[in-house]
This record gives sequence, C-alpha cells and structure tokens, in this order.
Amino acid sequence: MAKSDANSDRAYDERPRPLAGVRVVDFTWIVAGPQATRILADLGADVIRVENEGHMDSLRGGLPPDGPPHPDRSGIFNNFNRNKRGITANIYHPRTRELIEQLISGADAVTENFSPGAFARMGFGFERLRELNPKIVYLSLSGYGHYGRDSSYVTWGPTAQAVSGLTYISGLPDQDPAGWGYSYLDHSAGYYGAIAMLLALRRRDRIEGAQRVDISQVETGMVMTGVTMLDWQINGRQSERIGNRSRHPAMAPHGAYRCAGDDRWITVAVETGEHWRELCEELGAPELAEDERFASLEARLAAEDELDAAITERTSERDARELMYALQARGVPAGLAQNMPDKMEDEQLAARGFYRAAPSPYVDDRFYEGLPFLFRQLGWDVHRGAPGIGEHIDEVLTELGCTPEEIAQLRAEAAV
Amino acid sequence: MSDAPPLPEFADSLDGAPILDRVRVVEVGDLGEVAGRLLADVGADVIRVEPPSGTDSRHIGPYPGDEPGVETSLRFAAHNANKRGVTLDLEHTEARELWRRLCESADVVIDGSGHGVLDGLGAGWEARLADGWAGPRVWCSITPFGREGPWADWASSDLVQLALGGPMMSTGYTDHDLPPIRGGFDHSYWMGGEYAVVGILGALFGLDAGAAEGPELVDMAIHDAVSATTEGSFPSWEYRREINQRATGRHSAPGPTPEIQFPTVDRRHMNIIGGGQPRSVRYLEGLLDWMDQYDAAEDLREPRFREAVFAARNEAGKERQRFSEVTKRFVAMLTTEEAYRGGQSLHLPWGIVRRPEENLDDPHWTDRDSFAPLELPDGLQARLPVAPYRFEGVERGVPCRAPLLGEHNHAVYHEELGVPAEELPGLSERGAI
Repeated sequence: MAKSDANSDRAYDERPRPLAGVRVVDFTWIVAGPQATRILADLGADVIRVENEGHMDSLRGGLPPDGPPHPDRSGIFNNFNRNKRGITANIYHPRTRELIEQLISGADAVTENFSPGAFARMGFGFERLRELNPKIVYLSLSGYGHYGRDSSYVTWGPTAQAVSGLTYISGLPDQDPAGWGYSYLDHSAGYYGAIAMLLALRRRDRIEGAQRVDISQVETGMVMTGVTMLDWQINGRQSERIGNRSRHPAMAPHGAYRCAGDDRWITVAVETGEHWRELCEELGAPELAEDERFASLEARLAAEDELDAAITERTSERDARELMYALQARGVPAGLAQNMPDKMEDEQLAARGFYRAAPSPYVDDRFYEGLPFLFRQLGWDVHRGAPGIGEHIDEVLTELGCTPEEIAQLRAEAAV
Repeated sequence: MSDAPPLPEFADSLDGAPILDRVRVVEVGDLGEVAGRLLADVGADVIRVEPPSGTDSRHIGPYPGDEPGVETSLRFAAHNANKRGVTLDLEHTEARELWRRLCESADVVIDGSGHGVLDGLGAGWEARLADGWAGPRVWCSITPFGREGPWADWASSDLVQLALGGPMMSTGYTDHDLPPIRGGFDHSYWMGGEYAVVGILGALFGLDAGAAEGPELVDMAIHDAVSATTEGSFPSWEYRREINQRATGRHSAPGPTPEIQFPTVDRRHMNIIGGGQPRSVRYLEGLLDWMDQYDAAEDLREPRFREAVFAARNEAGKERQRFSEVTKRFVAMLTTEEAYRGGQSLHLPWGIVRRPEENLDDPHWTDRDSFAPLELPDGLQARLPVAPYRFEGVERGVPCRAPLLGEHNHAVYHEELGVPAEELPGLSERGAI
C-alpha cells in the first residue's frame, strides 16, 4: 500500500478548512517564516511562495532521500513547505513586478522574514502594500524586530536562543550550556507568526485599513522566561542551569536515567510519596523506599546525587520502553526519551493520526508532521508535498490573466 | 554600523481598541494557563476559574523571599497576568450550575484541568454538547496526550513531555555518557499553549466564516505539540533513515559538526552558528580584517576558505571545521560584549549567551517596550516580558497583575451573571465558590 493510501479513508481529511479562501503571498524563507505559513496552509489557506531563483532558499539545499542534492528534493524543505504553491519571480522585471503587485492586491496577507528594511528596499514597504491593498495584513518576522536600536542585528534560531537566555539555562550546572539541539526559536517565531496572522485576519473586519505586524524572534524566547526574570528581580536569584532537575515544583527523583542499549534513557518525575514507593517497587528496590536518606521529598532533594546514582544502578539493565509502560501502569510520570524511530512507532501519535502521508512528484509518498490538535467539525490536512522551484508559475500566472504566450515570453526573459 | 535605512516609526493607535476585544475566555485548570495568558495579552477577557483553595500553580514557586503564599507565587504571577479570577468548586452541585452559566457567557473555554476530569463531573465538553448549552462556541481541551488513545490517561510532566516528544534526544552534549537534557523550563506548556491559541483562533475564524456551525472542539495534545517542535530530526529520519545525535551547544545532526559555542576571555560564551564561516564573501572580508587587528586570522586568507563560502555545506567540511577552530581562538581574545557587538556590526549572526534577566537592561528591548511594569501583591514592582506581537498602531497597555484568589467573584457572578449579591456569602460558606 502506498503511504498516501494509509489515511486516504480519513473522513477527517474531507472536512471544511477554517482558512479556506484566505490567500497569503509568502516571501518567507528558511525556517521561521515557512513554519508560520505552514500552519496557515495546513488550516486551508492558499499560500503562494514567491521565490528568487538567484538567491535560493537555503533549505532547498537540504539532503534528498537519495542521489545528489536537488532544489526540488530537499527533505527538510519538503517538510516545512508542504501544502503550499510556489512561483519564482524576478521582481526587478517590470512586468513581473506588475504581476506580483496584482497578486498582492487580491490577497489577504503578505509575509516575509528578511532582515529589517530588505523588503522595503525591494519596493514592498508597508506604504506600498497598503496602496496596493487597503485591507492587507503585512507580517514580518525578524531577529530583533523592525524597530529599536539593534534592529539591524541578524540572527538564526540558535543566535536568538543565546540572546534570549534560553541557551544559558539549558544544561548541566558543571558543564557548558547545552542550549537547544535545533532552532527552537525558529519554530516559536513561526507559531507566534501564525497566531498574529489569525488575530489580524479576525480583526480585519472591524478596523479600517491595513495592518502591520512586527515579530521579533528573540522576544518570542524572552516571553518564556518570565518566571526566572521575576525570581531575579524579586529575590535577586540569578538564572542557573540545573540539568534535568526540578525546583518549581520541587520533585525528586527527577531526571533522565540510563537504560539498557545504546543511548537509551527513561525520564521519571516523582512528585509524591506514592510515586516514590511505586518507583522503588517497580525497580525491585524496596530498600530504597526504606532508606532514611530518601524518606521524604525534602530528604530526597538534599541527596539528589546519591539518589540519581541509586536509580541509575537499577535502571541501567532495564529496557526503557518496557520500564515506561510498567511505571505508567503504576501511575508514575515516566517517559522514554524518544528518538525519531521511536516516535514513528508511538502508538498515541498513531491513534491521533499525527503523521499524515501525502504524495509528492519529487520525493514520492512521505509522512509529514501534522498539527497537534483535532477539531470536531473543521479539519486540517496534508495533501501534497512542497512545490518544486517555480512549479506553479503557469497555474498562478494564468489565474492572474496571463496567456500561455505571455508566460512563455516571461520565461524567455528570465522574468519568472 | 547599520546600512539599513531608518524604518518608519510605528504610528499611533488606529482605533484604540485591543486586538482581541469582545472575546471572553473562561479558563480552568493549569495546563492552559499559557494559552490564556497569550489571549489575555491581546485584550481578551480571560476569567481564571479556581477551586476555593487556589489552583495548583499558585502552590508552585518561586515565591518572594521563598515564603510560600497563595497570593504570591511568581510563577502564577507570570502566567496569569491580565486575567480576572473567580473561585468555583466544580465538585459542588450549586457550583456546577454557576459553571454552566459562566461557560454560556463565554466565547471560548480553555479546559486544562486534566484528561476526563470535567467530563467525569458532567461539566465538560461532553455535557456542553449533549445538554445543548448556549455557549461557548469553542471548547479547547488541553491535555497531556489528547482526549482519546492508549496513552490518554497517562501521568505526565514537563520532563516526560520533552522526553516523549523528542526534543531531549536532540538536546544535550556530544559526550553521550551525559544524559539528554530538558531545556529549562516548562517549554512543553509553552509549545502546547501556543498551538492551543492557533487552534482556538482557527476555530473562531472558521466559525465566523461559516465553515462550520458551532460549537467546535479543539482537542489539543501537548504530546503532539512537542512532537511537532523538533525540526531536523524528523526529516533526517523520514528522508534519510538517519538519527540526529545531540551535540554540545548546537544543532543535533546525524554526523559530526563543527563547534559553534566558544568561550570568551571573560569566561562566558558566544554562539556563532556554523562555527564562524560567513555566508557571503563580503562578510568574510570584514571578519578577516577584524581578526587581523588581533593577528588572529591564521590561514583563513587562503583561497580555499573563500571558495568554501560558495560550496554546498556538505562539500566544504574541512574548511568549516578549520574555520571553527580559528574562530574559537579569536573569540577567546574578546569579551562577550566585544564579540557580540563587533560581530553584529559586521552583519554576522554572532549571539551572546546571556542569562535571561540580562535582557532587562538591554536598550534595544527598552526601545521596543519588551517588558511591561507589573505590580505584584504586597506592593512589589517588577517588569514582565509581554507576548511578542507588535501591531502597528496598537498601544500595549500596562499589564494587570494576576488575580487574587476570588478577586472577581462579585463582579463576575453578581454584576455580569446576575446572581443576587446576597446569595454570594452563602455560596461561599457552603464551599461552592
């Protein structure tokens, strides 16, 4: 059975999309912007990526399933741009510019995540956008936002994580910062971008005029650090790394413990005496439950190094997945640290249909990560992979009223 | 120095109205408090419903002076700013009638009270649907694993979520004797809260557009939100059958990658993505000139490094590795502040590894009003980072502190729901509110 048949009988996929009829002209690239428009496309918006073939989205350079790299076959690009349409455009060609402006005139929103000022220098400042379309929503995502002293500063996800403080507070106290093992804030910025777009689209019916929304990626990280910032301001307590331990709420044992096999770990979060007794019983260690050093939460917090060593000694020969099921059966919060093959076998994600299969002319049928919520009547879907470079030029230009001859002429002039 | 043209100042308010006005949200339990906060920050009327003893997150620190108190949790303060608060014991029959009236007055309910809890009391989504309540239009159930499925009843925590969802196996140290790391702190609740808001606003938009008739359920699983927030590990597996391996201070990847986190002379760290090799020749020249001032460019002026800028990432591994080693030695001569400002002035994405609180004094965030003054109970003053949306023309007001326990009982139950004022003391004495 082809992957795309796997869930083709899902009535869910036939449901109405909340954003059906919404059109987004999408100048974003790499991760943060495409993450925002991926959500909008999954919810049914017609997202048309406008790409510059001479300055290609670096995600198109990602590795393909096999063979040499090819712009249409990058796995990571495909994952973040599914459901979208794509055209290429030389916006400095006068006719192409007219067509892009026509596209914007008939759209609901324009998105970009260039460095501040770059889009305006390309001739698409907010003033021009609102001239073209008095009800347009213009969403920009950038590292530091479009105004403020350091707005020209540049970031990638990890840069923003470092500046926002997220990197510093992630890791073991006696080691360098671990940071995050991916561009977490590219995704957060994308989520806030999608939220802001939904807010603006809803607000559009009430206000006169166009809307401009400015999102700073670093700020999307800072908002998550409110508690630790208050602790500093009120108690003078500096933020520090505490590994996998938990102070608020206080829990012990609380960590990732080595299991049998290569790089297999189980996490356990013990908050109550009941959790502690059940954990000891499952580990075949009644002596730990009786041990005075670990008799209360306070005692366990005061002896965390010894505690963690005692737990590890008893988990290191256990199968992590089996131990997780056994502990969960006892009501103990426990979870295997899942790698990707584990997640593809995750029976809860499977029950919710989280990974959705869809066809692609470039990388065959593939699974895609879905959205993390299910509606009752509405739906979201993944119905196709990402567009190849310039794949929808004919389709979109025809919709704009171009004849096949004109499209051929534009191609001949390298205008699209 | 920036060569970007000055940007237009954001204009004054278009109409003075908040972004999300005339939307009432009723929020119960703790799993949805981030979602409630994100909606409250843009003007929704968010009413936090708590048991008379206070919701669990009031009993989680830190606290001022480390003295626990039901009104003083700094965690509760951060996650519940801009909301109003009422008390209600949903196990109490009288309270459930009030609960229904409260829900019927709302556009959105956020149920973060745990899988099956409200449904078990006849006060959840199932009752709303079966009994034909007049509201809300959107019911968002935020649970650890979703409303159905083999893990729906499982015990959970932030740590367990970040393990099961995948971020931990990408995060940690190159030395795999050290455990995978949970990024600090509570990020599973942020990921779940952010996506819950997407679901809520998507449902409202769809209902307003006539795509469906109400009421609509948003069955939001934190496990799914975390699982969707792992970036490269999914494509590595789906397209290449490769497993990303965690590496110190940088992206996980199937194979070895150059270091990107470098110590500075003041014993702090810089994050320099890619290890230092710029992505254009213009920036390469600027960096080499800067290094020359310290006699630190070593062999980086050799043509192979210039050529490597144009090469595909997987074709210039040796040069990238070498660039990273030389950059590490150069950065070791600088303070973090010199490296950060110097790199950024050359348009290089060099990031200072800061403590979160160091941002409070950064003039850029002052320019952007990224922190709003917040008055806490007992007259304490602080600043709180606000939700990161900037709508041109919309003033961001001073946030209200989180509600005191039952602070808005009179306003909500009497003034808005019409419960006679003289009945409130009795409801309180009987433990209903």
